[in-house]
Amino acid sequence: MKHVLLLSKQIKDGEPVSEYVKSLASYLNDEGLKVSIVSFDDGSYYSLDPEINVYRFPLNFDGSNIFNWSMMMNNELKGQVMENIDSDSIDVIHANDWTTVPAAVSLSKYLERPMFFTVHSTEQQRGFGTEQSEVISELEWQGVYEAEKVFANNEDTKNSLLFDLDAPGEKMKVIRPLTEAWESRILKTYREHVKLKEEV
Amino acid sequence: MRPLFVTWEYPPFKAGGIAAHCEDLATTLADQGHRPVVLTYGEEEETEFRDGVEIHRVPATDSASNTLSWAMHLGHQMEKKAIELYKEKEFDLVHAHDWMAVPGATGIKKTLDLPMVFTVHSTQKGRDGIDSDYQQTIHDLEWYGTYEASQVITVGREFSEEVKYNYELPEEKVNYIPNGVDLEKFDDHSNNLNRNNYALGHEQIILFVGRMYPQKGPGHLIEAMPHILEQRPDAKFVMCGSGATDHYRGLAKKQVGEKVHFPGYVPDEELISLMKEASMTVAPSVYEPFGIVPLESAACETPTVGSYTGGMKDTIVHEYTGLHTYPGDSGSIKDQVSRALNDPGWSDWLGDNARDRVEDNFRWEQITAWTTGIYTKALEE
Repeated sequence: MKHVLLLSKQIKDGEPVSEYVKSLASYLNDEGLKVSIVSFDDGSYYSLDPEINVYRFPLNFDGSNIFNWSMMMNNELKGQVMENIDSDSIDVIHANDWTTVPAAVSLSKYLERPMFFTVHSTEQQRGFGTEQSEVISELEWQGVYEAEKVFANNEDTKNSLLFDLDAPGEKMKVIRPLTEAWESRILKTYREHVKLKEEV
Repeated sequence: MRPLFVTWEYPPFKAGGIAAHCEDLATTLADQGHRPVVLTYGEEEETEFRDGVEIHRVPATDSASNTLSWAMHLGHQMEKKAIELYKEKEFDLVHAHDWMAVPGATGIKKTLDLPMVFTVHSTQKGRDGIDSDYQQTIHDLEWYGTYEASQVITVGREFSEEVKYNYELPEEKVNYIPNGVDLEKFDDHSNNLNRNNYALGHEQIILFVGRMYPQKGPGHLIEAMPHILEQRPDAKFVMCGSGATDHYRGLAKKQVGEKVHFPGYVPDEELISLMKEASMTVAPSVYEPFGIVPLESAACETPTVGSYTGGMKDTIVHEYTGLHTYPGDSGSIKDQVSRALNDPGWSDWLGDNARDRVEDNFRWEQITAWTTGIYTKALEE
């Protein structure tokens, strides 16, 4: 396994999901893997080892809500991957939250590579308070369904996935960020699945 | 060539004119040796092969709060299906039809790295305006489709200018290709109409066909009805179409009572019979990028009295294949309908000319050849 593709809505210093992606990318890079991060470019500053490839893109579409915006952002995300990255070299696709699920699912199906999905929180945990909550929750479900393995950031998120989205328990791993060896547990999971695929 | 059509509606499921357009274009492409594939909405996932066309239906979510979010979700489902199909046999390009196809078609374009052609059938600005965030987003999506497409097709000559202006498009990217008519469908049709369901024996049928919404102008025709009846008491107005039917029925009944009939949605076969039986068709639209009704009416050798707007500037030749009225002007509708009713011989002559003109200019064979020319242009870019 040589190349990991990390998908994130944004990459910005101090923002929790971005910090998660940055830490994981740095660890994987130190372990000798090629890492590509693809995200929307909101103009924010980020600091990262220059060896890690970061592809940020603008979006010429505002959308009337976060769901519509995300769906079109995902189209650009796929475009960036297909245009700028040697897609054949990608071994693993890792989505972060529902905002990158459509792209991760499409790329996983097209490139025939395993998809992993980190759920930082579920729509239920965020209050299920908007008109888009139902379709967002459906995307979370789809991410869980399509992923080889789902990483929940804490027990509460895992429980929400189990009870609110009927996620299968055997797919789930609770890996709390910033605890000891959390990144290595993710890498180990990647490796187990890539090896399994190769054997099959 | 193997184009992939992306359209939210395809027969037998029909809501507007896009379904019929896609079916006629895809079928004629197949007749000409191409291998079109259609991706569209269905209540469940299914595949059908009809008239040389491969049709794949995918379901969309029930959870979307509005049509926009629904279209976004449907787009993602379509893209997944397109990826699955592409692995068996590649497509040459993706052809999107109207804004609801834009999310899916652009996703397919980006993932499969295909050229995209986008047919704009109407614009948000023209349909309802851009007064809310929701309407603005649809307008933005239309712009995005034109931006991502290698080539844009519009169905009306005047409408081409509207599209170029609205989305700030370069001249060379926009192509006018009219809609067409499948003449065989009209010629092979057997007339089983029970005329008594619509009018008395001595009455002349004045036919309206279209969605009952302000854009199609049924209210202007209703306003003209009593004045037409003053001059021609033998007129009978038949208003076919779904939409705000109850509203317009109420208005019309108040004005002319039994002299108007609203049968609601009328199936194709019955509609062709009605068109053949009618003295004329009236198309009082205030906004009409193309307007297929005058051509279908012409195929039945029936003249159309239609607004001088959008596509009807091309599909009706005033005093040769039909009559033009000022858009939104009931007085003008009254004048032109009465002129045609008062001179049946002239009216028949208009109908014959309309049919000849459709045969010469609006056949799907020709329109499909133009479309494949646009495909070639998109592939060469």
